Amino acid sequence: MNLLAPIASGTIVTVAAVLAGLLVLAYILKMRRRRFEVPFSTLWQRVLKEKEATSLWRHLKRLLSLLLLATMVGLLLFAALEPELGGARKDARSIVIIVDASASMKTIDEGEDGTKSRMDAAREQVLLLLDGMSADDAIMLMRMDGRATPMSRFHGDLAKHRKTLSTIEASDTPANLTASLSAAADALRWRKKPQILLIGDGAYSEDALASATWEKAAEAAASPADGASEPKESSFKDKQLASVDLAGIDVRYQPVGKAANNVGIISFNVRRYISNKLNYEVFIEIQNFSDEPATRRLVLFNGDSEIDVKTIELAPGQRITKIYPDLGGGAESVLRARIESVEDEASDAFALDDEAWALMPENKRQNVLLVSEDNLYMEGALLIFDHLEVDKLAPKEYETALAASELPEYDAVIYHAYTPENVLPAPTHLLYFNPSGPHSPFPITGTLDRGRITQVSQTHPVTRWLEMSDVNFDKLSTFAVDASAAEVSLFQSIRSSVAAAKKEGRRKVAAFGFGLEGTDVMLRVAFPLMMVNTLDWFAGADSDLITTYTTGRPARVPLDGTYGISEVLVTTPSGANQKAPLREGYATFFAAEVGVHQLVARKGGEDVAEIQLAANLSSASESDIEPSAELSLGGKTLDAPVIGSATPRQSLWIYLCLMVLFLLIVEWYTFNRRITV
Amino acid sequence: MARSAKKSSKVEDDRSSLFDEEFLKKLEYLHMVSRKTFVGQNRADRRMRKIGSGIEFADHRKYSTGDDFRYIDWNVYGRIDKLLLRLFEEEEDLHIYILLDASKSMLIGEPLKLHYAMQMAAALTYVGLANLDRVGIIPFAENLGAHLPVARGKGRIFKVFDFLRGIEAGGPTKLEEATKSFIHRYKRKGLVVIISDFYDPSGFEEGINSLRYNGFEPFVLQIYDEKEVNPSFHGDLTLVDCETGSAKEITVSKSLIEAYKREHEKYCAELSDFCSSKNIPYFRTHTKIAFDELVLKIFRLGGFLK
Repeated sequence: MNLLAPIASGTIVTVAAVLAGLLVLAYILKMRRRRFEVPFSTLWQRVLKEKEATSLWRHLKRLLSLLLLATMVGLLLFAALEPELGGARKDARSIVIIVDASASMKTIDEGEDGTKSRMDAAREQVLLLLDGMSADDAIMLMRMDGRATPMSRFHGDLAKHRKTLSTIEASDTPANLTASLSAAADALRWRKKPQILLIGDGAYSEDALASATWEKAAEAAASPADGASEPKESSFKDKQLASVDLAGIDVRYQPVGKAANNVGIISFNVRRYISNKLNYEVFIEIQNFSDEPATRRLVLFNGDSEIDVKTIELAPGQRITKIYPDLGGGAESVLRARIESVEDEASDAFALDDEAWALMPENKRQNVLLVSEDNLYMEGALLIFDHLEVDKLAPKEYETALAASELPEYDAVIYHAYTPENVLPAPTHLLYFNPSGPHSPFPITGTLDRGRITQVSQTHPVTRWLEMSDVNFDKLSTFAVDASAAEVSLFQSIRSSVAAAKKEGRRKVAAFGFGLEGTDVMLRVAFPLMMVNTLDWFAGADSDLITTYTTGRPARVPLDGTYGISEVLVTTPSGANQKAPLREGYATFFAAEVGVHQLVARKGGEDVAEIQLAANLSSASESDIEPSAELSLGGKTLDAPVIGSATPRQSLWIYLCLMVLFLLIVEWYTFNRRITV
Repeated sequence: MARSAKKSSKVEDDRSSLFDEEFLKKLEYLHMVSRKTFVGQNRADRRMRKIGSGIEFADHRKYSTGDDFRYIDWNVYGRIDKLLLRLFEEEEDLHIYILLDASKSMLIGEPLKLHYAMQMAAALTYVGLANLDRVGIIPFAENLGAHLPVARGKGRIFKVFDFLRGIEAGGPTKLEEATKSFIHRYKRKGLVVIISDFYDPSGFEEGINSLRYNGFEPFVLQIYDEKEVNPSFHGDLTLVDCETGSAKEITVSKSLIEAYKREHEKYCAELSDFCSSKNIPYFRTHTKIAFDELVLKIFRLGGFLK
């Protein structure tokens, strides 16, 4: 008999001690006497005079009960060690089977007629390997896509492994070979005859393949690769920290997949122009991964509307980059690129990289009200932005119109050198230049003569790309900024805030402690930038926001106004709903599917913030679906696994559990019959 | 595995449905039966048995310790050499006192022994009242409780019901103390029906004897619950006396149960033998027997009705 011992001996001892304690406790509880009320105890006392309750049998049967329980616990612990009949084989191995479930495994090129996917072929290969495993081999299945996921613990139950294997499907993410090898090496550490079997198509990045080392860390540190006078510490840092230590592990590779053609989109993105938010430009990169020239039709969509169609011809291995400048039109913010086969070309075997998505920041026309006496600098700055519709009112006209409720709805109001008592209701955003008096959005603490701006906020969208150090001011008002109320200082003169921003529910407010008189700010590039930054911040259009990601990599996505919310609801392109953690206004997002994802943050049943994110495969190594018949890992070419012959074995745990059940029934019967009470 | 350590045999003391319409019908039936069988043989409706009043000779009975020497029939002694007492009947209202055990041990059983005893007391009271006797009810435990004064007339039966419903039960059984108090309080002699389980650690003899010695005619009705005779518990237990609160840890086995049954039977036999020896009517019943059946049995065997 041998023990598979899937649980560490220390754990078993700890569990045994805890169970023994619980057992004694249960025994003591069992021995607690039940209380019965009798009407006339005198009769019992008369009887008891004749019979002494402390007989030998009474002690013995109590002991019998404890022994019965102890036997049951012992049998259960023994069963946990998975004892098996027959002696242990000396050549028993510990094997981690890494099943490649990355995007390239969706390639359909397997089978006689080429209609099976590489994933199906990989499962068949693993089944063949499992059939040839020794009865004493302890096997762990590990799924490899963007993450390394152990699908089982080490055990030799082949039926279970087959069942687990059938649940593994290919995902839309690139393979993370380094993480998978590292996880497998960690799992195999201290195990006898460790082996890793890698079943996949070899579509892995060069960096991942080079990251493996076959020497032990200490040896590698002691003998630098070049044999020169490289310091030991440097060698250790450079080689060992980033590498996967496979020393002593027999790594084998079983390739799947046949030669197949593929043309794929490997980059796709879009950005709006800063000066004209209504127009945008698109960047796309396409590569032909086959050995033959290919012709494809490239179609660009805005939402469901085609906005451009091009036929492109690619030489073998050619990568072309296309930029579509000054595109406009189309109301949707989702852009989609698709490459299609032309009539005389066969469709490629890997469809996942034929389509890519990109998202543009939301942009809409903004209705802005300028409340100011005539000021050409201000009006001129607003006129240069095509997406703004500007109305202008003098302060007195504004007060009259507001009192008569004649003002239409505006997205933003700019008050220049005027601080009204009454403002338009939220969500209209407010921008103040040189506010004064008690109605200033930020309390005014004083004024600075001939002050200069010494510090500009590095993080706020309003101050992005601004250089204010050489701007002259005749007078600057200073504000009291309450950081605890999430108010932000935008500009500082020495340590006094002279510009600030805050959020009041859905309304955003910004204030600058200067007007356009007595300053040369309007003559600087900073002024129109400051205006566009502020109005973009009001509109929620953040040109730095990245909305297009690659699958298989975690990303931090900012979500406005989500402080205090701990998770977001993610709706994937396939319609599945998931939850993602949200900390300090950033959601940690892992895209496992290609397409457009919707992230919604909710508080008290209401949607507080939402954002759309596009995820594309964007991986040249995954799109290069040419299978590698041989794989070189850390400079060593991997051998193919050897398929052995299966040997049956007899597991005992089920019989032990049945024995425990039998003893439990005996204990129950004797207890109820008052034999062991 | 260990079971719940605490087990209680308490049954809710709900007296609201003890004396319902059905109960009244049964009482009326019992009254009819009692009249059909016994009424009309004597001048008064009922007469009490009274020794030595000299009005009308009724019967002889064996002399026992404490009897008045004056009523010994010396003629009979001269003829058959046995001490017999002459009994006379007096034509006067019979006083019936019902001593109802309301100790804590009566709150055991299913139905509660106390409820059964109350129904018995109500039935006997009704028959007594209907036969123009004077009936009073005196609950007792360690001493006498609030009593229902002696009165006559069938119409009082509803007051009886109300009184019985309001009896407060509790405390240990002390029959001797209770009977001594009774004797001091009630001077008019009569029939004393003791309805009790007679679970008195100091014994029942003194209590009954003190009634006899003071000219009352005891009538013993012992009530028990079947589970008292056949306990269903086994194993390691703590037995708690419901009256005294004293606890005893024991291991109950089959043989112990059998020994207990024998002991219980022996105790009941002691009470029965004592009553027989003193010529005291004695009835023993468990709570599963319908009370009207028991009353009919009492009628048949005599002692309560004459």
